[in-house]
Amino acid sequence: MTDVSRRQLLTGAVGLAAVGGLAAACGTSSPSPVTSSPTAAAGTPKRGGNFRLGVTGGGSKDIMDGQNIITKPDQARLVTAFETLLLFDENYQLTTNGLAESVTQDNPKQYTIKLRQGIEFQNGKTMTADDVIYSFQRIGTQKNGLTGFAATATMDIAGMKKLDKYTVQLPLKTPDSTIPQTLGSYTFTIVPSGYQAYPQPQVGTGAYKLQSFTQGQQSVHVRNPNYWRSGEPYFDTVTIIDFSDTTAQVNGLLGGQIDAMTDLPPSQVKVVQARGLQALVSKTGGWLPICMAIDMPPFDDVRVRQAMRLIVDRQGMLEQVSSGYGFVGNDLYAPFDPGFDHALPQRQQDIAQAKSLLKAAGHANLSVDLHTTDGAAGMVDTATVFANQAQAAGVKINVINDPNYYGNQYLKLAFSIDFWGTRAYLNQVQQGSLPTSPYNETHWPPKSGTGSDFVSLYNQALATTDAASRIAIEQQMQQIEYNIGGYIIPFFGGLIDGYSPRVKGFKPSEGTLNLDSFGHGYRTIWFG
Amino acid sequence: MNWFRPGGVWGFILRRLLLGIVVLILVSVVVFLATQALPGDPARAILGRSATPASLAALRRQLHLDRPVLDQYLTWVTGLLRGNLGTSLAAQEPVTTLLAPRLVNSAVLVALAAVVSIPLSIAIGAWAAFKREKAFDTVSSILLLVLAALPEFVVAVVLVILFATTVFHVLPAISTVPPGSRPWNNWLALVLPTLTLVIAVAPYVARIMRASMIEVLESDYVEMARLKGLPERTVLVRHALPNALGPVFQVIALNLAYLAGGIIVVEYVFNYTGVGGALQQAVVNHDLPVVQALAVLIAAVYVILNLLADVATILVTPRLRSRL
Amino acid sequence: MSQVSGVAVPAAEVAPPSVRGTSLLRRALRLWRTRIGVVLVGALVLLAIVGPYVAPYGPSTPVGAPNSTPSGTAVLGTDYLGQDVLSRLLYGGGSILAMAVIATALGLIAGVAIGLVAAYSRNALDDILMRGMDVILAFPQIMLGLVAVAIVGPHAWVIVVAIALTTAPRVARVARGAAQPVVERDFIACSEAMGVPRWRILSGELLPNVLGPLMVEASLRLTYSIGVIAALAFLGLSPNPNGANWGTMIQQNEIVLPVQPWGAAAPIIAIALLTMGTGLIGDGIARTAAGIDRARGEE
Repeated sequence: MTDVSRRQLLTGAVGLAAVGGLAAACGTSSPSPVTSSPTAAAGTPKRGGNFRLGVTGGGSKDIMDGQNIITKPDQARLVTAFETLLLFDENYQLTTNGLAESVTQDNPKQYTIKLRQGIEFQNGKTMTADDVIYSFQRIGTQKNGLTGFAATATMDIAGMKKLDKYTVQLPLKTPDSTIPQTLGSYTFTIVPSGYQAYPQPQVGTGAYKLQSFTQGQQSVHVRNPNYWRSGEPYFDTVTIIDFSDTTAQVNGLLGGQIDAMTDLPPSQVKVVQARGLQALVSKTGGWLPICMAIDMPPFDDVRVRQAMRLIVDRQGMLEQVSSGYGFVGNDLYAPFDPGFDHALPQRQQDIAQAKSLLKAAGHANLSVDLHTTDGAAGMVDTATVFANQAQAAGVKINVINDPNYYGNQYLKLAFSIDFWGTRAYLNQVQQGSLPTSPYNETHWPPKSGTGSDFVSLYNQALATTDAASRIAIEQQMQQIEYNIGGYIIPFFGGLIDGYSPRVKGFKPSEGTLNLDSFGHGYRTIWFG
Repeated sequence: MNWFRPGGVWGFILRRLLLGIVVLILVSVVVFLATQALPGDPARAILGRSATPASLAALRRQLHLDRPVLDQYLTWVTGLLRGNLGTSLAAQEPVTTLLAPRLVNSAVLVALAAVVSIPLSIAIGAWAAFKREKAFDTVSSILLLVLAALPEFVVAVVLVILFATTVFHVLPAISTVPPGSRPWNNWLALVLPTLTLVIAVAPYVARIMRASMIEVLESDYVEMARLKGLPERTVLVRHALPNALGPVFQVIALNLAYLAGGIIVVEYVFNYTGVGGALQQAVVNHDLPVVQALAVLIAAVYVILNLLADVATILVTPRLRSRL
Repeated sequence: MSQVSGVAVPAAEVAPPSVRGTSLLRRALRLWRTRIGVVLVGALVLLAIVGPYVAPYGPSTPVGAPNSTPSGTAVLGTDYLGQDVLSRLLYGGGSILAMAVIATALGLIAGVAIGLVAAYSRNALDDILMRGMDVILAFPQIMLGLVAVAIVGPHAWVIVVAIALTTAPRVARVARGAAQPVVERDFIACSEAMGVPRWRILSGELLPNVLGPLMVEASLRLTYSIGVIAALAFLGLSPNPNGANWGTMIQQNEIVLPVQPWGAAAPIIAIALLTMGTGLIGDGIARTAAGIDRARGEE
């Protein structure tokens, strides 16, 4: 392990500055020191206060599990107490600011993880290699049903070796260049040996300890005085409050009953600002796809899929659903990945072409159900606006807003809306575009004909260590998806959250989670 | 019932009580069957996006969703009678633990609304009757008519806009009751929800009171009292009012029962931690035990209040007792 | 809410079975409040029916940036998706009104039938019917609507059936309460003795004599139906998630009231005027009936 290999890790596996401009503060240079220093503009952090966060999407099925989430409140709670080996910064670049001092790739089928020494769990026990191995085992056990399981497919967890108290060797079954992204993924956290989900005691390495939890209502988290990043956190307590709908949430923010909220509807930014509150607009790679199952009629005919993609008025949808916040999409995901193919021409609305494609496919007056739900901001609106736009092409779309959306039918629907956060390209493929993916709404890839080599291309890309060659393969894959894929991605709306001007330290982030990863686990924000 | 008539008022009460129980049993059957008809799989509904075949199987095993229907019903009913309302599928907690604080919160709200609206509407109704066709009567009549017609959610939204977010900023816009805390720990937050409920209910009681009072004021009985030279105030309060209250009890009880439904919308708008919110959550999650428990509880409230209404009217109106 | 159980309420609120329907209506129209009610209801029904034909844009056509204030293109501004508020207002009454009227009518028919039969039977059938009504009555209207839509889905017919189902017992109680005194009258006994068939007695003798309280109840039920359907839409349970619907519009746009009031204020005013109108009509009829009754009592 030399300095070169560390560099290899950070540049080879992750890539350089993302498209869209990046002040590469943490890209290829050495990682920033352990204590984070807030920007001068925000002022000096002050201790104290009870930070109240309002989140929608939860309910009596709320959980608290360091390695699993179902809803956004679960996300908000997870980051209070649990941390990952590697960390993504605001520009969605991997850094070694997490629990690991270094993660190096010895060879394509082996990684070595070196832990930061002296970090204690909230119960006083020191974090060691044993805990890391337990954490991986827990995620890698299929019957636990954790979100990170699919990512462990290439890991040989049984073969993990403890080299010394703070070093772990991770062998792989097959080469996989996405391992570092996985280690930075927010549910791939390190928990103490023997850890189990709530109602068992919740012990992690994070900045706040769980004090009380009433599912469907709220949880209270109290400052961890022993936290390993000295100086942090600043709040005395963090209270996370469930809301059943956005209106109550915004009213709560306007009325001062909460200090911050997730998923502020874009059309309400003006209202919030009119009352002296702030909106945090983060340009992320989060997306709300319209999903067409490629093996279910009428979308099993590629001409229908192509027609649908031509019906969308992308700019119009950006205006209506996202009030202009964000940027237009081209039916491809992972826009910030260095391998994103910008050469592919931007699709425009073409009703005439769409109509002729539909006619050729024998679906001149198509009538189809589109399923959606209130899982994330904009899901229902996207469906509604798309249905309106489709009328111009003679397509009748019947929008079904189903509160039981994630019940029996999810992933078995021909036509649906879903939501995704920001990911690198190959990680996203693994989560949603492989036959083994947990969330493959479009039932991609095709089993025969064009595109049936998608999986082998993916495996090739995983195993390729040279960035340029890997990007070439990724672009091949994207070309296929661009031509015959099942996703319609009209725009990337980003994440918009609201907060009181009392709260300092938020920075727009390109990451997966709201509110700048909840203020990096509520560590980098304070009351000013 | 012509064929089962122990005599008098007590007989009547007994009969209504038994009938109420019969109704409740039927209600429980209807509720149970209806919730069985809920489509979808509770395990999927709970896990949502994160459902994988492994996690689904694990959860289903955990929730015992494989026992036969009749078995489940009988277990449920016997448990119900013993005070055990089952375990919430979503929260994995006893339903009683889950619902108890919410029931208290909703009950406090309804009680507060009752305590404010009943005396207020009786007073308004009585005074409007006394000052018939004069200014107070006409104005209050129109105002009450207007308010009675407005759906609750309209009233709630307007109140929030008026007092919390737009015109004035004196009251909280939402009234969430944090766990462990009680509604009376935050009085200000109770004002707007209570006001909404009062506006929903008061006009009807006031109107009935007015009508009843008018009739009583024109009765021979009151004429007599006046002719006897009693001061008007005594006539009003001692003689007219008690006699006018008879039919009003029934309407009061019925309106209180109405609040059991009205509270659903009010709790939604104000994010109040009560049974309305619990019901919505439970329905969306297919949390059968909670839906069943709430349906039966709310039905029980209705049946009891209806019973009280009928009994009160009989007791207060002697001439109807002969029909028993 | 004049819910009446089997026990009578003061005559001041319920007409005795002695005034024929049409003459009651005509007399009621002499009151200014009934007239105002009719004007309001008429205007809003007209708005709901004719609206779609005069709307400047379609209900879902984007005409500007979301939540913009009134301008040349959009007289009442735009809503949360940039659609024209005025157009959506004009399109938005139809479905609520149609569902409310149909549901109330169905509930009235069923309720009157059940109530009259129950009052007339005076035996076990009466008890069975009324207990059945009690079971339905045990559920608040909106709660039944909520659960029904959750079980079956947000289809128009589900909402109509749920409202009709919960309207019927309330009407049945009033019908039965109004019919009971009539059933014991001599002319009914006469008809029975003469061998007039039962259904004839029910429809020809009983029904006309209970029209007074029934008309009051009908307007009350209509007011409630409109309120519950709008409330269900407000809670997100309407047949079309983005259909122009006054209840849904209020929920979608209330939060931006400080910045763009019309998105929510316009439908609020529309619903308020409509329900006030039906309330005034019902009140007018009730007052007329009470006035007639009192006059009769003094004879």
